[in-house]
Amino acid sequence: MLAALHRLPTWLRFALYASVGVLVLAIAESFESGGVGRLTADTASRAMLKWCIPILLAGLGGLFSERASIVNIGLEGMMILGTWFGAWAALEFSPWMGLVFGVLGGALGGLIHAVATVSFGVDHVISGVAINIMAPGVTTFLSSEVFGNRTQSPDVPGLGEVDVPVLAGGTFFGAETPDILGSIADQGVFFVSDLASFARGLVSGIAIFSLIALALVPLSGWFLWKTRAGLQLRSAGEYPLAGESLGVNVIRRMYLGVVVSGALAGLGGAFIAMELTGFYQNGQTGGRGFIGLAALIFGNWRPLGILAAAFLFGYPFGVSLRDLDGQSTHALLLVVSFCLAVVSLWAATARRLVDAVMALVFAVVMFAWYVQTDVAPDWLPNAMPYVIVLLVLVFAAQRLRAPAFDGQIYRRGAT
Amino acid sequence: MVLAIELIDITKRFPGVLANDRVNLRVELGEIHAIVGENGAGKSTLMKILYGMQPPDEGKMLVNGTEVDFKSPTEAIEAGIGMVHQHVMLADNLTVLENVILGSEPTKSFGRIDFESAAQHLREVSHAYGLDIEPNDLVETLEVGERQRVEIIKVLFRGAKILILDEPTAVLVPQEVEQLHHNLRELKAQGSTILVINHKLPEVLDIADTITVLRQGRTVGEVKASDVTAGDLAELMVGSELPSPETTESTVTDDVALSLRGVTVLNEEDRPVVDDVDLVIHRGEIVGIAGVEGNGQGELIGAIMGTEHVETGTLELMGQDITKWSVRQRREAGVGLVPQDRHEEGLLLTAPLWENAALGHQTQRPYAKGWWIDRAASRAHTQTIRKRFGVKTPNVDVAAHALSGGNQQKLIIGREMTADPKILVLAHPTRGIDVGAQASVWQKIRDARADGLATMLISADLEELIGLSDTILVMLRGKLVAKLDPANVTPRQLGSYMTGAAIETDGNGSADGGAE
Repeated sequence: MLAALHRLPTWLRFALYASVGVLVLAIAESFESGGVGRLTADTASRAMLKWCIPILLAGLGGLFSERASIVNIGLEGMMILGTWFGAWAALEFSPWMGLVFGVLGGALGGLIHAVATVSFGVDHVISGVAINIMAPGVTTFLSSEVFGNRTQSPDVPGLGEVDVPVLAGGTFFGAETPDILGSIADQGVFFVSDLASFARGLVSGIAIFSLIALALVPLSGWFLWKTRAGLQLRSAGEYPLAGESLGVNVIRRMYLGVVVSGALAGLGGAFIAMELTGFYQNGQTGGRGFIGLAALIFGNWRPLGILAAAFLFGYPFGVSLRDLDGQSTHALLLVVSFCLAVVSLWAATARRLVDAVMALVFAVVMFAWYVQTDVAPDWLPNAMPYVIVLLVLVFAAQRLRAPAFDGQIYRRGAT
Repeated sequence: MVLAIELIDITKRFPGVLANDRVNLRVELGEIHAIVGENGAGKSTLMKILYGMQPPDEGKMLVNGTEVDFKSPTEAIEAGIGMVHQHVMLADNLTVLENVILGSEPTKSFGRIDFESAAQHLREVSHAYGLDIEPNDLVETLEVGERQRVEIIKVLFRGAKILILDEPTAVLVPQEVEQLHHNLRELKAQGSTILVINHKLPEVLDIADTITVLRQGRTVGEVKASDVTAGDLAELMVGSELPSPETTESTVTDDVALSLRGVTVLNEEDRPVVDDVDLVIHRGEIVGIAGVEGNGQGELIGAIMGTEHVETGTLELMGQDITKWSVRQRREAGVGLVPQDRHEEGLLLTAPLWENAALGHQTQRPYAKGWWIDRAASRAHTQTIRKRFGVKTPNVDVAAHALSGGNQQKLIIGREMTADPKILVLAHPTRGIDVGAQASVWQKIRDARADGLATMLISADLEELIGLSDTILVMLRGKLVAKLDPANVTPRQLGSYMTGAAIETDGNGSADGGAE
């Protein structure tokens, strides 16, 4: 059956996984007393699509850096630079300039990281941590100098939003179109309406900025796997001496990877300031750079995997946003418990008994938590990405393949 | 006539070392020219200079009669020179094609790689020279010999007419060496000039037309292969006769030091990588394990040391069942290991020698006193090792990376042997060290054997294996498939057992028949 799945085109397979996910969510929510369909509501999926973008961009940033062998734990700091520079330029010039300056601010952070790690052979983690410490200091200073307020900027304009015509009732050259998904969602049929409503969230009220970010997923894949610079960059991450012995300028490729990495993180930062909150604020990245790294690992250092991880990690945020009473997040506990049970079963059939027992124990604990409480704490969505990655590392570590030279320090001519 | 390569008075200095001292080299067009010399004679440095990886301090280089001054390998490649490095320069997680085209990718618009035409060109090249390879295979799935073929294709793909091969046979079994030599002759017939670095003299005599001998950074002679014997070359190389690994009369006793019964180790896919191995090592005996790398030797060592999970079977050390023991328990009970990669597993390169000496024995005297490391005693003991094993170092507080490979190895061997082991596992004990250090390491192994030490020797150097061992076992796909008497087996026969050729033709495991 699995083999049959893998013969499907990628997009269809992913759509299938997503529908199964929606089914599980719909079932879980039906157990919740007074369940109001928040888990599968279009508001939830729309919020997910928005909240996943910074994680996605940070993850893609990590991809470029680590594929060139440089661990970039400084993504968080580069993102912070992106929030300030993005907000400032959007205020000063225009939202589009905000996007450009977010990229430049992050790229500056990337450049510092590249100089330290590639040229001077500083340990990658140390340099990254230094950038994470430095960036908030820089932005606080700039903020108080430019905005006259150490912690916050005035409101920042975004790039705007669009609805897709026909599917979600967007306008088509000024003409009204039907809202097909919306009308199916209103029928209230179990699962079908859930699916429609969930899908509607993905095609209505899309930030233009999000579309740009999503386009970067195939673009990254194309660049890394189909172009000359991409191949050379990946070879630097696997075995830099190979490139060096063939006359590839390995140092330049590593610089490219790390600077692009910073630029993507900065873009993510600009997104947070311009689209998520609508202003710059100290510490508003909230550790999304690190969650991006988690997405990178979960996605097995591949663009599509990172996208899937970003959706998965962004979803709890999306739900919790509208979930003031904590009930829907509570239902997520049941979903997690169920997923763990599936993992346990899968491990058991693969005769990995230790894994199976561990997963089962976790599943039971989650279930007990679900049964014993009525609402979930508000820190849960924030903690979930880390928990998921820990679980992935525990249960699927053998399937993960980091670039072979990742994290090592390269010295030219060190044969 | 115009020479393909002419090097005149090349000199290269490194801090404290004169690597090349007015070296001269003349390579004729279309010949196979070998450069021989001991480790440290300056062969590799000379080739790196020729390939543009390092600039010479003095001297002139001429390629096809024109003076050149390469700033990088790219310029050497443009001049038609290609290099096959001693350690294959391949990225495991990329395909053969990606590895081959790296750095000279044919592109379409927007920097897109033209994979179709690249694959086409690769197939043409590999077909023309009889080097078969599938372009879309991941390199990690290839065997050692195939990887080397990829390296050669890499060079030919760039249109190189002059090939430099740096110790290409170091990791090959005799049959693969023959295949390589066949390929090289084919290349020569098609007009390539080939420069081979090697210090295995019979192979050099087999393949080369002309031989240049280096000793301590100087050219000491250029001879025609047809005019010399291995003995002549050896004398030129070291200025005296080569040491040999031969042992004297048998010291094997009846006391069993280590015995393995039905030991099986599984890999991540649950396939046996050590498959039902029975093995007995007596005191005073050296048991040699022959095998192409990656046939389970590493896992067998892991099973003995306690780092691999033993699925079924038992291990006994001096009659005690140690199957369930931890690594530390085994270490303390006297299981010693000289690991195959001294930099990865044997040493902490940035730590001082005395700390390195304590590694693996950090719970025992003289290195430790209860919970604490006894620094004074550790230093004193390291001094003892330094004297007894001839480790050349100013003191025992220098970092391990400051020592040459040979001296690092002597330190590791000293560390293990002075800890009074019951069984010592030696993995490639003389790999990559020079002839002098090699002779000294062999002597220490012989001495320990005479003192009744039980030793397991794993080596890719078949001469060493045959010379030192009392018994040779051949490991193939995780099984011990043949037991041979080193007194009447040649490296060639051993090679055919290692590749499975001999076992398939005669299944009885006797040493008389190799598949020819």
